[in-house]
Order: sequence, then C-alpha cells, then structure tokens
Amino acid sequence: MTVASPRTSRPTRPSHAKRNLGVLFVVLLIGWSLVSIDIRYERLVDFPRGLWLVIYKMYFEHGPDLGYLGISLEFMLDSIWIAWIGTIIGAIFSLPIGFIAAKNVSSGLIANAMRQFLNAIRAFPELVLAVAIFVPIAGLGPVAGALAIGVHSIGTLGKLTAEVIEGIDSGPVEAVRAAGGRWAQIQRWGVLPQVLPDVVAFWLYRFEINVRAAAILGIVGAGGIGFIIEQTIRFGRFPRAGTALLVVILATIVVDTGSGWVRRRIIEGAEKKAVAAEVFERIDVAGQPV
Amino acid sequence: MTAAADARSRPAKPRPSLAVPLGIVSFLVITWLAVSREFGIGLDVGELIGNLTRIEGLLWRVSTDQADRGLLNPNWPFLPQTAEPMLETLQMAVIASAIGCGLALPIAFFVSRVTTPNAGVFNAGRSVLSVIRAIPDILYALIFIAALGVGPLPGILALIFFNVGVVVKLLSETVDGVDVGPIEAGRASGASRAQTVRWAVMPQVLPNYVAYSLYVFELNIRASTVLGIVGAGGIGRILYREYSLFHWSNLSVVIVEVFVFVILIEFVSIWLRRRLV
Repeated sequence: MTVASPRTSRPTRPSHAKRNLGVLFVVLLIGWSLVSIDIRYERLVDFPRGLWLVIYKMYFEHGPDLGYLGISLEFMLDSIWIAWIGTIIGAIFSLPIGFIAAKNVSSGLIANAMRQFLNAIRAFPELVLAVAIFVPIAGLGPVAGALAIGVHSIGTLGKLTAEVIEGIDSGPVEAVRAAGGRWAQIQRWGVLPQVLPDVVAFWLYRFEINVRAAAILGIVGAGGIGFIIEQTIRFGRFPRAGTALLVVILATIVVDTGSGWVRRRIIEGAEKKAVAAEVFERIDVAGQPV
Repeated sequence: MTAAADARSRPAKPRPSLAVPLGIVSFLVITWLAVSREFGIGLDVGELIGNLTRIEGLLWRVSTDQADRGLLNPNWPFLPQTAEPMLETLQMAVIASAIGCGLALPIAFFVSRVTTPNAGVFNAGRSVLSVIRAIPDILYALIFIAALGVGPLPGILALIFFNVGVVVKLLSETVDGVDVGPIEAGRASGASRAQTVRWAVMPQVLPNYVAYSLYVFELNIRASTVLGIVGAGGIGRILYREYSLFHWSNLSVVIVEVFVFVILIEFVSIWLRRRLV
C-alpha cells in the first residue's frame, strides 16, 4: 500500500524521451532535406516577381483571351465526361469488391487479401496509370484518361465501401438469415439498403475529386483541359492559359457545389451517417484521393 | 378512433419520392452524353476490347534491347539511375510538408470563428482558401515553372500552396469545434487573444494538427512522384522520359519503385498516427 506516501508530493513527470527523440528525428530529416536537395535558394528571391509577371501576362496585360473561352469550355467538358465515366467504372467494380473486402460479410482471409489488392491499386497515381498502361492500350485521348481514373477509383471506392459495410447494424442481417435467406439475399436485403446512401454519396464525392484529376490528365495526352493549359503555358500564350485556368477554377467550384448539394440530400435521409460524415469531414477539401 | 379497427392493417406506403426517378433519368442522360462520340469522349467498348490485344506487346514484348522489353520484364540495371531523383522526391515532400504545415498553423487561427471573431477577416480568408484549393497541384507547378524555370523549387512551392489549402481547412474546422471552457478561463484570468490561442486552443488541437500533417505528408509523397512529368523535379521526370522513349522495361522499374515507396511511407505514417493520436 502506498497510501502512506506524503500527499503533498507531486506525481513524477511522465518521460518525454520518446517524443523528444521523434521530434529530433523529424527536425534532422527536414534539415537534411533542405541542405542536400539540389536547389539554388537564391532563386526564391525572384519568385514573387516572376509569379506576378505570369499572372500579369495572363490577366492584366491584355486581359484573359476571351476568344479562347469556347475551346477552354469544350476541353473542360471533356474533363468532366472523363471524370463521370471514370467514376462509373469505379462504382460498378468497387461495389461487389467492397462486399468481398468487408470482414463482416466476407471471410477474414479473402477480405484481407482484397484489402491489400485495393491498397495496391490506390498506390498508383492516375497519371502513372495513364502513362504506363492506358495510353499505350487505348491510344492518346480521353478514353485512356477515363480508364486510368476508373481503375484508381476502384481502389479508393472499394476501400470506402468496405468500411461502410463493416459499420452496419447486424440486426437486419440476422433477420434475413433467420427468415432463411441465402448469402446473396442477406447482402441484397440486409446489407445493401443500409449502405446504399453512404455509398452513393461516396460515388458523388469521388466524382468531385475525379474532375480535378481529369483536369490535369491532358498533360500526358490522356484528354481534357490539362492539354491546352500545358501547351499554352509552354508556348507562352499566357492570356489563353489564363482563360483556361479560370475555366478550371470555376468549373471545379460549380461541380463541387452541385454534387455536394446532391450528396448532402442523399445522406440526410440515411439513419447511419456516421462513417460518410466522418470521412467527408476529414477529406472533403483535400481534393485528393485518400 | 380508427386506430383499433386498423390495428392489423398495413401502414400506408409513403408516397414515392420524385427525386429517385429524376436522379436515374438525369444519370442516364449524362452518361449517354459522356459516352457519345458527338458530345462526349466517344467511348466505344467494342473498339476498346479490340485494343486489348495491345496489352500483350506492352507487357511481354521481347527485344534484344534491355530497355525495350515489356512492362513485366523490368530492366533492373536501370535502378541506380533512378536513385537520385527518387531521393529528390522524398526531399521535396519533406520540405513542402514542413513549410506548408508550418505556415498553415497560424493561418488556421485567422480563419476560425472561435479565434477570429472579426467576420470580415474570417470570410475573406475562407474565400481565398477555396480558390487556392480549386487549383490542382500540377497546375500550380506549371505556373511556377513559367515563373522560375524547371527544377524541384517550383515543385516544392506548388506542394506548399496545395498543403496550406488543405491543412488550414482541416485545422480551422477543428479549431471551430474546440471546448470553449479553457478559452473563457484564460480570458477571465486576463489573457490576451494570442495567449488564449497559445494556452487554451493549441493544446486542444495539437494532436489533430500532427495527424493532418502526416496525412499531408502522404499526399505530398504521391504528388511529388508525378510533379516531375511537367518538369518540377523528382522521379516523375525519369518516368516521363522513359515513357516518351517507349522504354517500357525501364518504366517498369520506376513504377515498381514508386509503388514500393508510396506503400512504405503510408505504412510508416499509419503506424506513427496510431502512436500519436
């Protein structure tokens, strides 16, 4: 019994050694990177002036080239179609895969294997998929872009779908089983109705991210507005680049707003919105794949 | 009272909502537009399946040239040439994360309702941030390259812009949700606004901040592997060069390397996050 120890003494401070070691490691990593990377830091001095010059040429010297607006919109529309088809490809494949990858409705071993497979898909950025696989197969153009985005989306959507399925209420599942439902019937009537609102919301959310991804795929020739932005900047047609850039920003915001509105309408009706709500809170704005 | 009489009858079906059929119809219309050749991207499934035969050449091509074999035949002797750009990728991600997250910390307090009661500052900050976030990192890189020339510096700056947008958004929303008790306690004991931020708000949001920073570091690792495609430094430069030369077996080495690198960093990051938060 330690009750006898004097009450006035302070408790001993917990050791911070581990934390300090971690901080030291991070500081060293940053220091090493700053010193050893091949950068002439004096160029930073030119950055504000250089950036201003580019912006000036884009928007203020002659104003953005509004004659280029039609072409920009056309290419941006291509980007949106690419994102839409890519999202559909991702949705179609990720739904069954999500069921297989969820530990509570599939068997543990298979679920784990499927999870690893999904992690592997997600590790490839869309641009890499486009360059290495889909442009060689489908040729230069938006079809390659849509396929690259589709495959990457399978990875992210499959993971999110599996996570939603793992969070379901087991009541309806037991009810279907008690009424004699087979595995497929359990999934259809016990699981699917519970997860569908969240899953559809994820599809829309993925579409928003894919619009951003599709806006840059053109840089490698996989279709969309990235192509004309890269070309106009490379050849110094800054007023045109400025117009295209404005179109990207506005289109992204418009798509986000529209899709976000539908998304919220869908989840509002759902009883269990914890998973989707939490994920959106975490990554809503990152505009980047998880 | 009709309740007793109708006790065994079924409850009335809710009126079917118009939203669902409307949604399905608009989905079909948009998809048709997207797939069609006239309006959309001209996705022809038959043609695509015909093109699948190209996979064979892509994956298994045989050639006397080491660099010119298929993707499934990585040219491992090429690996040492990729070491330096790969290291540069890591360095870019580290530097950008450090600076981006460092800048985001003070900015986040200016765009949270809790720490900045001035609605003007707050709203202006939020609007600027949503524009900053609407531009993808690669487009930043393109613009910065026009300003500075090629190299890792514009790449790092692009990542920093992107990071500030993400972290400020996430962190300011966390600050919005803090417990106001400690803030009131600080104010009651005569603390200035800066002091309440330091001693009442910071300790509450610090674990989240660390988690967001790690998350952003992961994003940066992925982003910095492709920034080189536009000339902003890192392994993407080699990736795109080998692609342009049709050196598939060299490309294959780079892809495997990027893959392992990304998975490894993610693994470490998840492990750290679990320990810290």
